[in-house]
Amino acid sequence: MEEVKNNSGQNLGIAALITAVITFVLAVIPCVGLIAIIPGIIAIVLATVGLSQASRGNSPRGVMLAGLIIAIIASMISFSQIFVAGKIVNKADKWPLNIQNIVNDVQDNVNKDIDDAKVSIKVESNGEKVEINTSSDKKDQEKKLEDLEGGNTPKKDTIQKHDSTQKHVIIRKKK
Amino acid sequence: MLIFAYSGFFSPEKNNYPVVCIHEKLTGQPCVSCGLSHSFSLIVRGRVEEAYQWNHYGMRIFLFFVVQLLLRVTFSVFYLKYPDIRMKLIIADCTGSGIIFLAAFWPFITNIVSGIFYTAS
Repeated sequence: MEEVKNNSGQNLGIAALITAVITFVLAVIPCVGLIAIIPGIIAIVLATVGLSQASRGNSPRGVMLAGLIIAIIASMISFSQIFVAGKIVNKADKWPLNIQNIVNDVQDNVNKDIDDAKVSIKVESNGEKVEINTSSDKKDQEKKLEDLEGGNTPKKDTIQKHDSTQKHVIIRKKK
Repeated sequence: MLIFAYSGFFSPEKNNYPVVCIHEKLTGQPCVSCGLSHSFSLIVRGRVEEAYQWNHYGMRIFLFFVVQLLLRVTFSVFYLKYPDIRMKLIIADCTGSGIIFLAAFWPFITNIVSGIFYTAS
């Protein structure tokens, strides 16, 4: 006797396949990937119900199986978006440290430029004017300045920068 | 069709998109697909340069949906017209769509894979 095949579960299978394909596309997009797990579960349920109906009605199960497999893979991809979120968080945690390193590098470069630059120091006090033009080491400049000032530290100073290559520092003692 | 309706209905000027980035909500950081809705809307309105600025991959994803719409129509016609080669048509459709999908979504796929490897390491 020939087995009679009907179409029971086929509509559910087609619905499951379409839902699974949509889930697959959504699951790959990071913005909506995590939400895609909901249609993924719906597709799995539809495919499972369709499969049970098909096995009872002895109808073809290819569409349901395809829907089920695609839905499971899509749900796994959707779930894996959690790892992507974790990666973003970990990278974001390292950003402040990277910014701090960049700031430190820039600070070091600026300090090095100042140390290497040609320096002109003018000291004005009670009409007397002393000017030092040199490109020697910064520590020597500081020592000379201390010698000129006689150990008295001015209360208020003004510093003027003219350009990046040659820096003029004018220190005025306030009366 | 839904994608085109969504892109046409919601405006980049009004910024009234209902879909928000889950990643940005969870982590506070934007992901590779952020700005995709804006990008689609701008492409529909013919502002391609701005679309690239919103999301670099917007155009290729949009083209994927355009090609898929054309393929669905074409394969449906062939499927009804030539019942003898239906299985061949389905295989050709699956293969072609799979390749186009990989080409369009490759940056997102690599993003997921790198995320998994990053967590595993």
